[in-house]
Amino acid sequence: MEKQKPDISPPNLPLKFLRWFCSPDLLEDVEGDLFELFEERASENPAKARKLFFLDVIQLFRPGIIKNFSFFQIRFTMFQNHIITAFRHALKYKGYTAINLLGLIVGLASSILIFSWVEDEVSMNSGHENEVYQIRRNMYQASGEIQTTGAIPQPLAAVLEKEYPEIDHVTLLSWGMETLFRMDKETSYESGMYASQDFFKVFTFRFLAGNPSTALEDKYSIVLSKSMAERFFGGTKEALGKALLVDERQEFIVSGVVEDENTHSSITFDWIIPADEFIARNDWVESWYNGGFAMYFSLKNGTSIVPVNERIEQEINIHTNNAADERLFTQPLKEIYLYSEFKNGVSVGGRIQYVRILTGIAIFLLLMASINFMNLATARSSRRAKEVGIRKVLGAQKSLISQQFFVESFLLSFISVAIALLLVFLILPYFNQLTGKAISISLADPRILLYILGTTVVVGFLSGSYPAILLPSFGIVPSLKGMIKGTKFNHSFRNSLVVFQFIMAILLIIGTFVVMNQIDYILNKNLGLDKENLIYFDISDEIRGKEEALKNELNAISQVKNVSFTSGNPLRYGRSTSTAVWDGKNPDDVVEINVLLTDPQFFKTMGMELLEGRGFSEELASDSNAFVINEVAARLIGYENPIDQRLGLWGIEGSIIGVVKNFHMNSLYDPIEPVIICNMPGNTSMAFVRVFGDIPTALTEVEKVTKKLSPSYPFRYEFLDQDYAASYQNEMIVGKLVRIFAVISIFISCLGLFGLSSFTADQRSKEIGIRKINGANSWGLVYLLSKNYTKLIIIAFFMAVPLSYYLASKWLENFAFHFNMNVSIFILAGIVAFLIGALTVSFKSFQAASVNPIKTLKDE
Amino acid sequence: MEKYSLGEFEEIVMLTVAILYENAYGITIKKEIEERLNRKVSVGAMRTALSRLEKKGYLESELGEATAIRGGKRKRYFKVTVYGKRALDYVKSTRKQLWDAIPPIAFDFKHQY
Repeated sequence: MEKQKPDISPPNLPLKFLRWFCSPDLLEDVEGDLFELFEERASENPAKARKLFFLDVIQLFRPGIIKNFSFFQIRFTMFQNHIITAFRHALKYKGYTAINLLGLIVGLASSILIFSWVEDEVSMNSGHENEVYQIRRNMYQASGEIQTTGAIPQPLAAVLEKEYPEIDHVTLLSWGMETLFRMDKETSYESGMYASQDFFKVFTFRFLAGNPSTALEDKYSIVLSKSMAERFFGGTKEALGKALLVDERQEFIVSGVVEDENTHSSITFDWIIPADEFIARNDWVESWYNGGFAMYFSLKNGTSIVPVNERIEQEINIHTNNAADERLFTQPLKEIYLYSEFKNGVSVGGRIQYVRILTGIAIFLLLMASINFMNLATARSSRRAKEVGIRKVLGAQKSLISQQFFVESFLLSFISVAIALLLVFLILPYFNQLTGKAISISLADPRILLYILGTTVVVGFLSGSYPAILLPSFGIVPSLKGMIKGTKFNHSFRNSLVVFQFIMAILLIIGTFVVMNQIDYILNKNLGLDKENLIYFDISDEIRGKEEALKNELNAISQVKNVSFTSGNPLRYGRSTSTAVWDGKNPDDVVEINVLLTDPQFFKTMGMELLEGRGFSEELASDSNAFVINEVAARLIGYENPIDQRLGLWGIEGSIIGVVKNFHMNSLYDPIEPVIICNMPGNTSMAFVRVFGDIPTALTEVEKVTKKLSPSYPFRYEFLDQDYAASYQNEMIVGKLVRIFAVISIFISCLGLFGLSSFTADQRSKEIGIRKINGANSWGLVYLLSKNYTKLIIIAFFMAVPLSYYLASKWLENFAFHFNMNVSIFILAGIVAFLIGALTVSFKSFQAASVNPIKTLKDE
Repeated sequence: MEKYSLGEFEEIVMLTVAILYENAYGITIKKEIEERLNRKVSVGAMRTALSRLEKKGYLESELGEATAIRGGKRKRYFKVTVYGKRALDYVKSTRKQLWDAIPPIAFDFKHQY
């Protein structure tokens, strides 16, 4: 591939910086040297050259090279003084410093963790070098709905390769499969995919052995991941050229080994086998009317996707004479991971939502920590008024005093960032465990350095800006006389920041409750079948033809209640057809209906409820062309009384014998789809066994029976309820994260509140003393001191409710099925926030109120 | 105490400048050190060392011709001054004195066991 000649001028920003700081005597030849170096490096790797140029300039920023800034020297002395005062001040008021630091550290550490998670999500698939697109298909249903799928007819690949000059390579990719591998005695199930020849030309995977461009040429070749190669052959080099038996059926020769996780790719596999081999066994794939594989293509360098998009839209309609309108569109590889959800043909996001939510939380936490700093600094500004006054008398300008406060806040923010980073390194392993990621943070990464620098500056600026602007504006005389009492504006500004903080905290608490409730709803929802104590496993090829024997032996186990064979997991079903016909159906209408193939024991084993009619009978031979439909299908077909009405499928003429209560075939994100259930025990591939009583014995017995009939396959099973819960893992992880960060946000806001209330208590200590002498009791005083802050929490609560209601209902809208939000969530969140906040405030107030008044009144 | 102050890195830079004779400017010095001593030299570190040496009077420099590849900027060529040569001699001779003063047995490691 010809790379375009890159831009060969060095980056502008560092150059400007150099010209600014470099001593004029040295500038000319230093700049020349850098140019020369850059030129030389750029001929090899322009991107690296730019990076190194940056680094060189930064390394030149040192005494001896930096020119003499005359004002700089004066400033520098003052600067030193400011740092010293900042330290003295921090050490004198240890409590406030601790509150400030703790809040900042916790907020920063959390936000760094969240941003690293976000970065990891966003950079998914960025390691693939080509500009890759996935093709998606919109199917326009007669009902007006649009279904979006990634299953694309295989013949399209040839059309794209021949007729689209913009397209470089096209590859087909199957869905992920678990397949049995054998090497001598050793067997194990491994997950991987079938892919057509150009797979490794479209996607970038690093080969440790073998040649990427020819690895999939031979029909019986296989490419392994490094970890799988090591499992079977003990090394990457050793694996090359060796044979592996797949599914006890065919030997494949290892033609390549790729690095496991070098590209940060959402496409992961342990093996890749040429798609030709799959297609040879499944010729249904080779039709414009079916779609099994996903299809990706890479664009040629310098071409645009726009003409491809325009032409590709109608390709299926051109090559089929279906009545159905099916349109194709493309999605860039960068988006397929985060924007995977489509509703009615339109992208509605996907994981990007969680990325947004967590980014929002990270910014919240940073803001909250900065607000604490700002609030405490302004509240305590009167304390420092004398210092400011003296400085002014001695000739400090306003700018110098604001510089002082900025130095202080930057210093604190720098220290917090350093400690927060340390904390992040300690927590990272647990965080990775929680999120199931392998995030690593390296200080050598310039982006990380930039981020650290950036946060230090932003937090330092945010938290220092208000005091730095406010304090220098005091007049000299009032400052020195100690007549600075917080202005009214000051006071209300502080209060609004507290309200703001608590709005965010309450928002997060409500968010946590909503997510927790929804997860609870998902896990406990009645799915239309009994998912408890139901195990299932794939029926291996060795059992083919012996299904009856298996079923009989399983039924003979005393801990087994029922056994049923099906064509798939009814909670995650995706086999559909548009060939169903019934009386009154417009032949031109396209209606996609799911088809589930099973046996007469199905309904009993699953614990499904039949609303009308009956299930299949073993005795009635005529039931081989009988159908049971679900409520959605019944409504769709539209018979007033569906029982005994005509229904045809795949050319089989039959009738409806029953209507089953809706069960959830897809995730709760999607509405329930129509399904036709057929009595075809011969076409099943999965066994469901309902066990009871002593489950471990049941499992060993089931294993024994299965192993007897299928000795070469390892026995693998899954509990339906566990499998179901696992499919909502993302939601649970995000739920956990939101919960943790909600607690942290409450903690940070309470820290701030604690600081403020102790400050007020301090300031009003004399007033409290006098009140006590005049007979006020402690509780009255606590009330007096706390009521202002608790009022703020109540205001925050009422402002947070509508906002959180809006956001929560937006999130819940994604689910076709969700719990109904009610007032109790909001009330509960309000009570939690109020109690925690009130406790924090009254703790310090109570302390102040119980001090002996003599102590506070005696000194003046 | 010491008559001439010369750090280890400074010494290397000066020797390299001498090696390169007429062709000693920023890039060539950096490369020569990197190649001969197999160590990384940053532009910043080298540049400060050169200016420091010039300030001490060990090196002198003059601006040379401009080339297009350097963005039209002239090169600064360095030369070791007589005073610099003396400093190098001094360092070398003090080292030699020290080496000569070491009793042979000190480096005879077989004896110690």
